[in-house]
Amino acid sequence: IHKKEPIEKEVNLHLLPGELLLCEANTVLKCVQEDGSNRGACGKLICTNFKIAFLGDESASDDNEPEFKNKIIGENDITLHCIDHIYGVYDEKKKSLSGQLKKYPEKLIIYCKDLRVFHFCLRYTKEEEVKRIVSGIVHHSQTPKLLKRLFLFSYAAAAPANTDIQNQTVMFDAIKDWREELERTKGNMKYKVLSTNEAYKVSEKLPLYFVVPMSLSEESILQHQGRGIPIWCWSCHNGASLLKMSAFPKEQEDNTSQMHKIFLDGVYKTINKPPYEVLKTDDLSSSLPSLQDIQAAYIRFKQLFLIDNSTDFWDTDVKWFSLLESTNWLEIVRRCLKKAIEVAEYLEGQNTNVLLVEENASDLCCVISSLVQVMMDSHYRTKFGFQSLIQKEWVMGGHCFLDRCNHLRQNDKEEAPVFLLFLDCVWQLVQQYPPAFEFTETYLTVLSDSLYIPIFSTFFFNSQHQKDTNMSGEGHSAQSSRFRFLTVWDWSVQFESKAQVLLNNPLYVEKPKLDKSQRKTTRFKHQRQLSLPLTQTKSSPKRGFFREETDHFIKNILGKRISKLINSSDELHNNFTEFYDTWHCKPVDFHGLLLPHIDGPGIKVWAQRYLRWIPEAQLLGGGTVATATKILDMIEEVQSLQKKMDEKHSLTVPQGREALPMLRNSARLSSLFPFALLQRHSLKPVLPTSTWKDLEDEDDLAKRDDEFVDLSEVI
Amino acid sequence: MAPWWGCVCRKTCPCRRLQGRSWSEPCALSLGFLITRGILIGRYQLPPPTPGAISMELPWGPSLPWGPSLMLIVAWPPGSKPHSSTWFSPAVNSFTKAKVLTASSTLKFIPEELVLYCRDFRVLRFRFCNSGAPFAAVFQVTLAIVQAQESSSASAGTWYDTGSSSPSTLLFERPCDWEKELRRLGAAGWRVSPVNERFDMATSLPKYLWVPSRLLDNELKRAFGHFNARRIPRLCWHHPGGSDLLRAAGFHADSDPEKEDVRSVEALMLAGHAQCVIVETTADLPSPAEIQLSYLKLRALCLPDSSVADEKWLSALEGTRWLEHVRACVRKACEVAALLAERSCSIMLQESDDRDLNCLLASLIQVLSDPHTRTQSGFQSLLQKEWVVAGHPFLQRLNLLRDNDREESPVFLLFLDCVWQLLQQFSASFEFTETYLIALHDSSYIPFFSTFLFNCQWERDRRNRVSPAWSGPYLPTIWDWALRYTAQQRAQFRNPAYARGSGSTTVPNGKSAPLGAALSGSGTMYLFAKGALSPQTHLFPWKNGSLSKKGWWRAQSSESLSEQDRSLRSSPSGCPLQPEGLLLPASVGPLIRLWRRCYLRGSQEVQVTLAPGTLADRAQSQSPRPALSLVKTLPAPMLDVLARVWMVGS
Repeated sequence: IHKKEPIEKEVNLHLLPGELLLCEANTVLKCVQEDGSNRGACGKLICTNFKIAFLGDESASDDNEPEFKNKIIGENDITLHCIDHIYGVYDEKKKSLSGQLKKYPEKLIIYCKDLRVFHFCLRYTKEEEVKRIVSGIVHHSQTPKLLKRLFLFSYAAAAPANTDIQNQTVMFDAIKDWREELERTKGNMKYKVLSTNEAYKVSEKLPLYFVVPMSLSEESILQHQGRGIPIWCWSCHNGASLLKMSAFPKEQEDNTSQMHKIFLDGVYKTINKPPYEVLKTDDLSSSLPSLQDIQAAYIRFKQLFLIDNSTDFWDTDVKWFSLLESTNWLEIVRRCLKKAIEVAEYLEGQNTNVLLVEENASDLCCVISSLVQVMMDSHYRTKFGFQSLIQKEWVMGGHCFLDRCNHLRQNDKEEAPVFLLFLDCVWQLVQQYPPAFEFTETYLTVLSDSLYIPIFSTFFFNSQHQKDTNMSGEGHSAQSSRFRFLTVWDWSVQFESKAQVLLNNPLYVEKPKLDKSQRKTTRFKHQRQLSLPLTQTKSSPKRGFFREETDHFIKNILGKRISKLINSSDELHNNFTEFYDTWHCKPVDFHGLLLPHIDGPGIKVWAQRYLRWIPEAQLLGGGTVATATKILDMIEEVQSLQKKMDEKHSLTVPQGREALPMLRNSARLSSLFPFALLQRHSLKPVLPTSTWKDLEDEDDLAKRDDEFVDLSEVI
Repeated sequence: MAPWWGCVCRKTCPCRRLQGRSWSEPCALSLGFLITRGILIGRYQLPPPTPGAISMELPWGPSLPWGPSLMLIVAWPPGSKPHSSTWFSPAVNSFTKAKVLTASSTLKFIPEELVLYCRDFRVLRFRFCNSGAPFAAVFQVTLAIVQAQESSSASAGTWYDTGSSSPSTLLFERPCDWEKELRRLGAAGWRVSPVNERFDMATSLPKYLWVPSRLLDNELKRAFGHFNARRIPRLCWHHPGGSDLLRAAGFHADSDPEKEDVRSVEALMLAGHAQCVIVETTADLPSPAEIQLSYLKLRALCLPDSSVADEKWLSALEGTRWLEHVRACVRKACEVAALLAERSCSIMLQESDDRDLNCLLASLIQVLSDPHTRTQSGFQSLLQKEWVVAGHPFLQRLNLLRDNDREESPVFLLFLDCVWQLLQQFSASFEFTETYLIALHDSSYIPFFSTFLFNCQWERDRRNRVSPAWSGPYLPTIWDWALRYTAQQRAQFRNPAYARGSGSTTVPNGKSAPLGAALSGSGTMYLFAKGALSPQTHLFPWKNGSLSKKGWWRAQSSESLSEQDRSLRSSPSGCPLQPEGLLLPASVGPLIRLWRRCYLRGSQEVQVTLAPGTLADRAQSQSPRPALSLVKTLPAPMLDVLARVWMVGS
């Protein structure tokens, strides 16, 4: 199918500042689908120090460009950090590629971390170029790297300094940010900000500023490199606070561990008495799955969506639910949400301080503490609030993004998708209560993709200390050569403003601003009263289902009911279910406490992230987009009506929000919008057309076979 | 409206806790439909609990009259006589025990709580307050409910006259409805034949049939004998591009292909086209028995105490196979709809008795292909045409009278589930909402409507109107929504996000074969099964002897499957008809979902989950969120006010 001499044109190759072209290969065929056919686009495959890119010979005309476009990562670009696995196809056999290659494959299959799958056929490429490009790609994406070799630094050194960043996201890198946060949550009566760590005197894991109970003495803080110190995360409206603490390592000599114990006892004593609330500690490393479990589950889970060819897809489809269950990923999501509800119950329901304990307080601690805050504090459900939360708990909290994402490919064992797990949990909340969030699921999806774009510093350091020590440029020459890193929260770097509209929930209603006195509701007491009579029901056995034909079944269940009754004597469990059920019995206040449903049917697959590149899962003209368009139309109409009315009354009109212009000019959107790029190539419904062939008119046939499919023709 | 058909619980109803916030229908229950299949359980406790603790659970607050009259006596239409039952005492040993109550069982205790497991997946709990209510009253209520459960069959079918049914729904009882619909379809080569007007050709068929214009009634009559139960091929739907969708029963075992009348059979099947595709309906779809089995499993799973751990929920759901059945139906309908759109031919759905899955498939294909059927009146007309008058044995399948469990199979509910899948995939394409489907789902258990109470039109005509002179009570159709739902509730049937008339399906197609060419018997036959087309040389292949019925199509299908290189999706330009009105749903695992608002109503925990997941859901759901529910129910001027609120908020 290859035709025409490749026309030399460099028009399509856009290099970022600091980006270098490393190798390239011509006449590469990008296959559309692994179905044996040679359909696809012909072009050039290049590898830079930032990405792998495919440049089609037939450049897309402007009106065919997808409108939801990432300015940094094009449709056919894969950043080196986004590459999950590379396979080579040798004589129809698929082999994982790594290290030195002896033989070069006729086809490259690249699995991406954002779940795209690319097939590049090298059959028509010159042998030399194949060697160069394959070994180049394998080398640059698979071999361990040094931190300083990250593209982040090349970009920061070469990019023009962007001075006018209007960033409303609180970065928590200044003492003022922490003070304001304490004030906002009314934690400033019992907690104080410390600047003791300004030169990383206490610990390199801790941020420059952090908050601890006021009664904690400075000397005890300096004692154990930050271990054993309760660090404040957030305060509830009733005064109860969420704290976290890195635990002491387990294996120690007797007298050291004895020392630790005495130290901890001392700490607990100071914070377990008034004015502090009763303290409840929760060791997350024992009550939640380990990082290895999370990683293993995610590996199984993502396999369901990395589809090589449609045959595979239909094979797995038959047993979809049991396969999904066996990955255990949704179960892990459920357990995290459940833990967060438990913590919320202690804080809100029992007025107790909760101390989360974990080895470094920077993995599951981040997940749970930020989930609790999203659930309990509507501020964190706004876009800037959510970003501030990630700054506070993850970036400043010292989550090892570099290790967990394995950006440097130095140690596979440290890899674990902890942040993705958090985003998945938040997605569950977003899809259960969309009006409560200012951002959309698209925002979360795009945020998850940003994990692999090495021009933002946000996800490319293990700690603030690591970032600080690597800030200075090569020349040791004072301030001027300090790198200026971009933050991921500056969305204009990735998206034009019309695309950014898709990140905002048009139906979000902001929290009405109330008097401060009113804000302090008596919700808690009210709730207890309400729940009293319900306790009665809760302790009574659950209901059973009976079919009169099956006496045996009935007996069986009757037995269960009684045993359930006995089991429910567990007080802890009771408190939890009571809290959960009581909350769910009442109307949802989208600006109040938000508890997710965690029952079997409640936890779902984050379809947008995981299914977006699978053509079989696409609905032309269907899905949420079609409805959203309709609703937005309606809103627009209402707005224009309002405008007319206001004009009549000669009032000043507040500027209406921007509707989604891009939804309008596409006649038939697909459910995968804004991500569907492969939609033309789906083979659904499966229809055997060969039998018709004898009746087909010849012209028509010839035309179709010649059809040259260009991916960019889409949308 | 008088609560003539059940109890109406209002504010103080104990079920308020079970009633999800998002389900705003008052929990009115028709004893007939809830309990005919459901079971009553009285729960009691010895010693009696402290009065204060349960007073919150008082079923009837001061605002409603207390007494059995509310529950039951009013509930039943005149004429139903309570059964006089004998009572005997059950053995009571444990301190808490549930008792399944039937009309023949006795109560030797004062039940503390009544739990009603309803057929529509609801679970209602009534708690009696020992301190307040007289024991006798509790007793009476309990007994009355139990008896009502049993007597529902006795009272079914007795009803008084009501107003007219909704005028826009075609009932297909009179020839003018058939004419009107045929005109709408623009099927030029077809006519309405009154050949079965007296049900003398086939009792299970409707009075009027759509047949090719060129075929005279006396030619037509020869065809009847060749099909099971004499259900001949007849038109269901005409594609604007020229294709025709037909349905028929299987060939009768005694049908002789050598006979001269086979020519008229062939003419019926080809219907003026050069090609005819026979779709073996049952080839990929579950049998009614399988549907029933998985429905029972699903119901057990969805009830609150299914004892399935959350982490095993997904595999338990898969184990019911219900979604697998849904998927098979959606997929098959999608394939046939694509075939219909692809070229001009006649497509005949063939099922051995043409009364179960043919109804499902024929109507599902039309929902996919014809935007009109996605309006409420269009959908109701469709159900009348393909289910009610076409002779789906509702009485047997829904088993409302509980006289024969063996024939029970919720084929119709499976269809509603399939429609729901389409609704959630293409929510802007439907005029009606999920609420409407749930109302329809629930209505199928109310035994006072002619729609679901008979097995075929003949029976309906005979039983429902004894004689033309009879002016007494007769059963209304289910489409009288005003009988059961308030205007406010009915407003929730309408989807505000419905994009009306997005393009028309009437795309002229040049490929339409000249009518009459095939009447001479020169057409080509194909068989479509398991997703593959295969040419067929004989009308009755198994009569030919050379081919075994089972394996004859397989040889070719493997070849054709590997070559599917295009479809409507992949190359819209190659399709003769730009499928503007055509819906092509995805039937992949992740996109076929559980109809939570319907099946998980009984589970308190999940019930309140009905928080919509997406923007799309938001439009249809009836959640009490001020901003969103207003969007859907308010007239335009009110939206204005709403917008003001929004703008201030933002």
